[in-house]
Amino acid sequence: MTENTIKTVKIQKIINECKDVKTLVFNMKISKTENYITPKPGQFVMVWVPGIDEVPMSLSGCDNNGNWSITVKNIGECTNAMYNLNIGDYIGVRGPLGNHFKLINQSSKEIFLIGGGIGMAPLKFLSNQLTKMNTKHTIIEGVKIEDDLMFKDYFQEVITNNSEVHYCTDDGSYGIEGVASDIFKEMVNKFNKNDLSNLVIYSCGPEIMLFKLFQICQEYKIEFYASLERIMRCGSGLCGLCALDPLGLLVCKDGPIFNSETLKEIQDFGKYQRDFTGKKIGID
Amino acid sequence: MLEVNLSGLKLKSPIILASGILGVSFSSMRRVFDAGAGAVTTKSIGPKPRKGYKNPSIIEIYPGTFMNSVGLGNPGIKEFISEIKEIKKYNIPLIVSVFGNTNEVYLDVAIKAENAGADAIEINISCPHAEVSSIGIDKGLTFEIVKFLKEKLTVPLFVKLNPNVTNIVEIALAAEKGGADGVVAINTLSALKIDVNTKRPILSHGSGGLSGKAIHPIAVKIVYDLYKVLKIPIMGCGGVDSWQDVVEFFLAGASAVQIGTAFYKGTEIITEINHGITQYLKDNDYKSINNMKGLAHQFKTQEVPDFD
Repeated sequence: MTENTIKTVKIQKIINECKDVKTLVFNMKISKTENYITPKPGQFVMVWVPGIDEVPMSLSGCDNNGNWSITVKNIGECTNAMYNLNIGDYIGVRGPLGNHFKLINQSSKEIFLIGGGIGMAPLKFLSNQLTKMNTKHTIIEGVKIEDDLMFKDYFQEVITNNSEVHYCTDDGSYGIEGVASDIFKEMVNKFNKNDLSNLVIYSCGPEIMLFKLFQICQEYKIEFYASLERIMRCGSGLCGLCALDPLGLLVCKDGPIFNSETLKEIQDFGKYQRDFTGKKIGID
Repeated sequence: MLEVNLSGLKLKSPIILASGILGVSFSSMRRVFDAGAGAVTTKSIGPKPRKGYKNPSIIEIYPGTFMNSVGLGNPGIKEFISEIKEIKKYNIPLIVSVFGNTNEVYLDVAIKAENAGADAIEINISCPHAEVSSIGIDKGLTFEIVKFLKEKLTVPLFVKLNPNVTNIVEIALAAEKGGADGVVAINTLSALKIDVNTKRPILSHGSGGLSGKAIHPIAVKIVYDLYKVLKIPIMGCGGVDSWQDVVEFFLAGASAVQIGTAFYKGTEIITEINHGITQYLKDNDYKSINNMKGLAHQFKTQEVPDFD
């Protein structure tokens, strides 16, 4: 068994997060003889719903007993099938795949986790890790409307030691009215210019949002990491569908997390992706 | 030291990116070239965009051994021309793999690829999980398509052989007779993987093609057999992930070697392989790859004893 082999496991727990969003928990410590790889925040898995499809999903959590979780939003054929799974149903899992968020454990750093919609999933995992490390961080969760807010109870319960969570909605139905990138920019402006080099941003969400955050971070010279998403078949560096022009970097192997230095060289970032045929199409 | 001349293609290294792996965008192919490949082969390109089979379509089943049923998913030649032109801006020797449903469609795609700048055409008549495999299992059809394409194409024509046949040697000979400039041996082997928990085949198409570590000795045997009868160059392909695997192909009679599946380890493996072959050549006082080509054939192997 390797990280690229499919392991079929039963769903052990399902958590309703909000409208159309559920967290599925499954155990990956199949037997004592298998070599178990502990996933890190930012890594993803290929999730197979037997008879339907297999898609890449970020891990939203992992505990010491080998229980991994994914948080799925019902938006397409495969995620719909996943959303409707029951406890005891089998899914196939390959992973952990890809790189991870580079953790910075320095009290002098101001850490921001900025997520848009279901992009909050890997950031929840990251927040959990940072909390375990006693590292203070600020979360900005941006969603369209109040009904889309996720992990609110979790954050309320778990977040400690000066960490804080800011919610924003496009329509102002909850928290601050506006998009996450604008809220972040307002926060940046409140910082003393000399302190900006202490900021570290980890982000995941719609690529348009990531691109805006990237631009802000470039402007203010802020350390920035974004988790990208692309269509992929293999998740193991072979099919090439997730290649980013012009460097040929692969989201599945070199990513999904990229820093500003790399992102500024990627012409596709914020603009293009490939569809299942390999044809280059725009990002909307 | 590693240079080879493959039917007129001058390559800095005998290592070629195999079709189907990282061959969709110019950028990933350029990355493979920069890592040390002598040439790159594109994903098989057809006349129009094709989604192929749904996922799971590429899975690892044992360490280093994969199974796939991509089903010839590709953006179509019209869309792909820009990628060909982009690769040619960097002077990268480029083999375009083509497929179609008739000889005329193969020709149409091949001509468009040639006009866009392809240095050679490889025909995929052997994909084990799509309808085109029908040509590659028949020596008559293989001869006909090769002859038909050779009359119209200017660049070298390579034929990728299907190992899922009774007698691969006679199909290779038919390709040679038709005028092929080389053969690639082998494509993936037809295989099936069933999950014991859900009791169903894992790949969405059911069966798929086996590639990687497990098929290397099979490919070496086929190259060895083909070298005995073919005059045209053979590109060894199947399960290479070390310089020793490459040298084995040369000793069996290959003129160049294609690598695909092993890139799950990263493109850097080509750099290591090139170093390994160079060292092997030096250690054996060989001036070039040609010095070791087919050397395994000098040893007599034991004949089948009489039945008594």
